[in-house]
Amino acid sequence: MRRGSIVQLVLFGLIAAAAGTTLALAPAWLPEPATREAGRIHFVFWFVTAICVFIFAIVAAVLAYAVVKFRRQPDDDTDGPPIHGHTGLEIAWTAVPTVLVTAIGIVSAIVLAKDDAAGANPLRVDVTAQQFAWSFGYPSYGNKRSDILRLPVNRSVVLHMTSKDVAHSFWVPEFSQKQDLLPGIHPTLHITPDRVGTYTVVCTELCGLGHALMRTQAIVMPQKAFASWAKSGRGGGAGQGTQGGGNAAPPTGQEGLVLFRQQGCNGCHTLEAAGANGTTGPDLDRLATYAQTAGKPLNGFIHQSIVAPNAYVEKGYPKGVMPDFGKTLTTAQVGALADFLAASVNKKQP
Amino acid sequence: MTATAAPVHHEVHEHHGPPPPPRGPRRLLYPGFLRAIWMTALFFGLGSAIVVLCRWWGGWHPIWKGEMIVLVGALVAAPIGFLAGIGSFDYWTRYAVGAPTVPEDHSGHGAYSWRDYFRVNTDHKVIGMQYLTTTIFFFLAGGLLALLVRSELAKPGMQFFNNQTYNGLFSVHASLMIFLFVIPAFAGLANFVVPLMLGAPDMAFPRLNALSFWLLPIAGIMMLSSFLVPGGAFAAGWTGYAPLSVHQPMGTIFFNMGVQWAGASSIMTALNFLVTIITMRAPGMTFWRMPLLVWANFTTSLLVVIATPFIAGSQFFVMFDRVMHTSFFETAGGGYPLGYQHIFWFYSHPAVYIMMLPGFGIASEVISVMSRKPIFGYRLMALSLMAILVLGFSVWAHHMFVSGMAPWLRVPMMITTLLIAVPTGVKVFSWLATMWEGKILFATPMLWAVGFVSMFVIGGLSGIYLGAVPIDIHVSDTYFVVAHIHYVLFGGSLFTIFAGIYYWFPKMTGRMYNEKLGKLHFWLTFIGFNATFFPMHLIGTEGMPRRVSDYDPQFAHWNMFISIASFFLGASTIVFLYNMVVSMRRGPIAVGNPWRALTLEWQVSSPPPVFNFDEIPQVVGGPYEYGVPGARHAVLSTSERTADERVPVD
Repeated sequence: MRRGSIVQLVLFGLIAAAAGTTLALAPAWLPEPATREAGRIHFVFWFVTAICVFIFAIVAAVLAYAVVKFRRQPDDDTDGPPIHGHTGLEIAWTAVPTVLVTAIGIVSAIVLAKDDAAGANPLRVDVTAQQFAWSFGYPSYGNKRSDILRLPVNRSVVLHMTSKDVAHSFWVPEFSQKQDLLPGIHPTLHITPDRVGTYTVVCTELCGLGHALMRTQAIVMPQKAFASWAKSGRGGGAGQGTQGGGNAAPPTGQEGLVLFRQQGCNGCHTLEAAGANGTTGPDLDRLATYAQTAGKPLNGFIHQSIVAPNAYVEKGYPKGVMPDFGKTLTTAQVGALADFLAASVNKKQP
Repeated sequence: MTATAAPVHHEVHEHHGPPPPPRGPRRLLYPGFLRAIWMTALFFGLGSAIVVLCRWWGGWHPIWKGEMIVLVGALVAAPIGFLAGIGSFDYWTRYAVGAPTVPEDHSGHGAYSWRDYFRVNTDHKVIGMQYLTTTIFFFLAGGLLALLVRSELAKPGMQFFNNQTYNGLFSVHASLMIFLFVIPAFAGLANFVVPLMLGAPDMAFPRLNALSFWLLPIAGIMMLSSFLVPGGAFAAGWTGYAPLSVHQPMGTIFFNMGVQWAGASSIMTALNFLVTIITMRAPGMTFWRMPLLVWANFTTSLLVVIATPFIAGSQFFVMFDRVMHTSFFETAGGGYPLGYQHIFWFYSHPAVYIMMLPGFGIASEVISVMSRKPIFGYRLMALSLMAILVLGFSVWAHHMFVSGMAPWLRVPMMITTLLIAVPTGVKVFSWLATMWEGKILFATPMLWAVGFVSMFVIGGLSGIYLGAVPIDIHVSDTYFVVAHIHYVLFGGSLFTIFAGIYYWFPKMTGRMYNEKLGKLHFWLTFIGFNATFFPMHLIGTEGMPRRVSDYDPQFAHWNMFISIASFFLGASTIVFLYNMVVSMRRGPIAVGNPWRALTLEWQVSSPPPVFNFDEIPQVVGGPYEYGVPGARHAVLSTSERTADERVPVD
């Protein structure tokens, strides 16, 4: 190769590297981290990005140079030089990538080990997912339950996870850590929140009809505020439902309202009394009409729709979507939920 | 080592099609669409009757159970009736019942009018064309579904569809693109080209070849028609994770069974390729003289034969959980939901290479010929295919880093995943080195091939992000993954399919496509593709999960941009279709070897004669000896052969 062409090739490489670097740095690729684990994961991200920009620059330079310099002239019918290979070059481009990916592997493995190390005495939070709601339990605070995830800042937290029905996945973009939840298995996820704020928990594993709406809040609080919240009353968090509203006074049966939110009914259904405005399933403010169409007494209809949702499905909504709550709720809970729903309907039609 | 002992003259065939169908009612018994219609109906009736009889005999209520009748009658029995009606089993049936078989007069071979493309044809070239047109049809259907998905996503909130329909749209989109487009389109191209490249008159099992084609439309129609059943199309994604898929509306069984028919087609074709490549190479065609496209299809076929039974099993198990109340994946009955993911990805990761290796082969052919240079590092190119084949079976759990599987499995699977970048990198670097100092002609196939290399590099690099466990934990199930798979399967597989279609178009049709339209098609697609899929990386890392119909308003601007770009991308396909249809009928007549290539398919007329070669060629050298003075890949007729060339080398 002539010296001039090497200069040109290097120039192409620098342009490609500059373009790659700009692309890597200009947009905000990652959300601002809110856990220590996210900080480490971001480090791996930038480590890999540096290597990728390097490889991209080489490939782009060679490709661009070849495209520009080695075009066939219109009247040229000759062949190129019969180069069949070059053992040294072939060894080099096998060995160098091997070294680079090994480096990535080592960095990743170290970060993974650090992220998984929960240390002594972490706070345990139980995470339960079901179509299409999240529920969080705090065994060290008298099994307090909440449908919002509240965490103390700067404390190691281990989330113990499971699902009641299908696969879900727990993710808070600012936390970076992610874990699928499946029935029958109990994985854990370790996080150490280090920034106070309110974030969104999203489900990232397709879980059915309401998948896109299966969200709640994760609130990282100062440790004192968390402690006082955790020790206050039981069943907290009910008044701050994920679907907004939630200030409407429950007509009757506080327990029914709590269940309505805990079980995620508000993810799919609209119900004024619960401040719910989901549109995936039938509008529960019109329960009376549905019961009439089904030709059943209101109370019986509501009860049946909870424990055997597929027995009658309102026209325009698909069958087999609503979970069978007869399997997951106790008889008393079904009763409370049904009473609450019936009361909300009766209140609308005095 | 040579495959056949000596150059064989096969007997002179009268070139004619099958006898014309009889007139009158006897025509109903003649293989074809007429017989297919009544036999499909008959088999549907028989299947349904079996269901009803069993339920009546067992005392089960209701006796008329719609879902079971659809499953057994429509999804199992009716397709068999269709295949029997169209004539796929005629020869074997006669043989099995001891009736005198019709002496093989090769009348089922070749195409003499357009009608010959609509019957069971045993000519690998006709089957190749049948594959390509069928898969392009499903490509268009899948593409339209993608545009419906993008129209819903243009704005946050729900505009056009409800959630279940939306989930159905992207599920059917992915399934059609994977099972009815990318995999069979490569099989179609290879069907046409591989026997020619090997110097063989046809595939090893022409009747099996025909049967594998006719299974395809069945699978495709099954998946598409799931939109018509109560509850809508299957909506658990193309991954169909249990237990969600077990509890979905009836459309799911259309996916479970559609995969069986498409998978059976894949396996039969792969076996056919393996036997053809191993036993039907022309004399002198050693393994190390095979074109890389043949190598690529050899490794792909091995992958298909070993891996595909796993997805077949996984879908049967899901269906059994549903209709037979087994508990493979139901925790209540002691099942193991994570098991589904292991079995599924044990197929579906190798499937990624099933969808990529043939593309590597096409790129190697095009880049070498268009650069007028031998492929750089031919043996390492072939060996890297084998390395990907082996490593490809040891990386499946990288799809499951956040699934809750045994935590210790993550680091080993990460290492194998990252290592697979090495043979892939070898291929990319070798293509670049092949172009280096070449005399590159940027005809349309070369544009697609170079476009493929550049897009595949981006897809490969984003694959390194996904391979590193900590980053994967962050971006798993986000739009970053959607961007990655489209860079690999669209920028990778689809670009090479287009490269292959343009490259072999003159060979297949005997006419030349329009070069200007071809280039326009490339540039529109290239721009539309990058505008559509590159921003998905960004919204993914920022926090947008995939498979959602509604999303956080912070992603609204990018989604609007992506949706507009996707419509632009969709429109670019019109240029392709116009070019193909018009050029096929009115394009300028192509010469036998417009690219001045050395491989065997270009040494015969365009389109090739019914039995490819007048006499079996004698292979005397490598397939890519461009620039080597006096080098030849093969000698086609005996009179040309000199004494020393007649001796097979190696």
